[in-house]
Amino acid sequence: MLVVFRLACSQIDTEHGMSPVRPLPPESAIEIDAITHRYGQRTLYRNLSLTITKGRVVALLGKNGVGKTTLIRLLMGFLRPSSGHCRVLGQDSHALSPATRARIGLLFEGHLTQDYMSIAQIERYHRPFYPGWRAELYYDLVDRMGLSRNHKIAQMSCGQRSQVVLGLIFAQNPELMILDDYSMGLDAGYRRLFLDYLAAYLGEGGKTVFLTSHVVQDMEVLVDEVVFLQRGGEILQMPLAEFRHSFRCFAFSLPASAQPPAADAIIHNPDVFARPPRLYSFAERDQVARHLAARCPEIALGEELPMTLEDAFIGLTGKY
Amino acid sequence: MWQAILLKEWLKLRWTLAALLVVHLGLLAYLGLALRYQFQVEHSEMIWYWAFELRRLLHTPLQYLPAVTGAALALAQFGPERLHGRFRLSLHLPVRADLLVWSWLAVGALLGAALSALDAIGLYGLIGLWFPREAAASAVLTALPWLLAGWVAYCGATLALLEPAWPRRLAYLGVSLAFVGLLFQERGYQEYDLVMPALLLLALLYVPAVILPAHRYRHQASL
Repeated sequence: MLVVFRLACSQIDTEHGMSPVRPLPPESAIEIDAITHRYGQRTLYRNLSLTITKGRVVALLGKNGVGKTTLIRLLMGFLRPSSGHCRVLGQDSHALSPATRARIGLLFEGHLTQDYMSIAQIERYHRPFYPGWRAELYYDLVDRMGLSRNHKIAQMSCGQRSQVVLGLIFAQNPELMILDDYSMGLDAGYRRLFLDYLAAYLGEGGKTVFLTSHVVQDMEVLVDEVVFLQRGGEILQMPLAEFRHSFRCFAFSLPASAQPPAADAIIHNPDVFARPPRLYSFAERDQVARHLAARCPEIALGEELPMTLEDAFIGLTGKY
Repeated sequence: MWQAILLKEWLKLRWTLAALLVVHLGLLAYLGLALRYQFQVEHSEMIWYWAFELRRLLHTPLQYLPAVTGAALALAQFGPERLHGRFRLSLHLPVRADLLVWSWLAVGALLGAALSALDAIGLYGLIGLWFPREAAASAVLTALPWLLAGWVAYCGATLALLEPAWPRRLAYLGVSLAFVGLLFQERGYQEYDLVMPALLLLALLYVPAVILPAHRYRHQASL
């Protein structure tokens, strides 16, 4: 198994934080077409549209409460939007056939599972539903916990429960994985192991992953595309490489008497609490400098600062 | 696949079933001891007079047991599905939701029926120890509405547990409690004989009805 992992992982271009180049079939695995969804008076999304192409690994990122889990519930037909519709693997979310559901590995938020079962019982329970079931993958993952196979899931820690649930999804060998906050409760070592497994799974080809996570740095080596979901349902979807290339962070100096620059079409998000103060922008340095000179001449633009993906995520969405 | 479904239901129900079995056997034993005590402290003619002239029921300790059993089975079976929204896990399985819910219902109903059969056989045997066979058969026929109350309580609790919306949940509970109440109105032997077929048909309406909350849970407008 580890040999498989190493082969798969060797294909990852970690230098640039990019996933290996995979052939991209044109069909879409997920289509969200102009959905509007409300909770009471609060509109979560208005006319939100999104397409996930087959064979891609796409991360849905956003701050707490922007509606990532709700979007996944809408996708899987557990919620009905006020308007618009979602299609998964070519079928309407509310009319997914059993055969199509068998092709979708779904991780519910909080690693929801039948925790009254034991490690062995839950594998026995799921096995008959999936023709391509790979029990060896499940046991390879869960045996690492060093627990008896008769151990009850209810008596496990949050992280151990996560290992069981993710093991079940890998054993299912689905064509499409939808993972809602897969990293919740996982320690750093297991998270890496999970990423290795995911890389091996993707290495088999024809697989699509749509995931959310609060551990943004994992996305750097994993995903092809990022979708940033903002409050109000605005989204920004682009290839990760393009985002890393075009989204920039600049230091600036702010005299005590001067007002900090406000966000506008050029300046995405000024952060005056950072040391040094910094601003984020999709524009190049010259354009930002000209813009500041025209609007806030007292502010001196500094150098472009290197960013991790997490820095860029915070730069785009804000700290608060 | 059906074996897997059976496995899950068994894992949820086994301890409740064991506890119910103990309670049912205990109540049957209590009924036997109570009858034996009656015959020791009273003349047989007096007990005969109470039972068949005054039409007092001798087996009332069993009266509410099937209803309590039905509700307990539903709680053990569907409580865990309801908790933390685990019902969604089952609804994502590659199997038709209606067949899945009916298979759950069949498992619960069969176990409830087995306990009811135990009650009926036990009742027939106990009454038959002291009374003629006709009296034992009459006691079982008199207990039939109580056994039906077990099915109604099971289905009513199932509907309430699967239903996502509180107003409907309360409506299901209200209707089911009223139905259960209707089955405990007798004051003597075999008073429900003529109406039992109609009540049975009415109770069978629960079979298609359980699909509705499952459908609403799957496709609800908001959680």
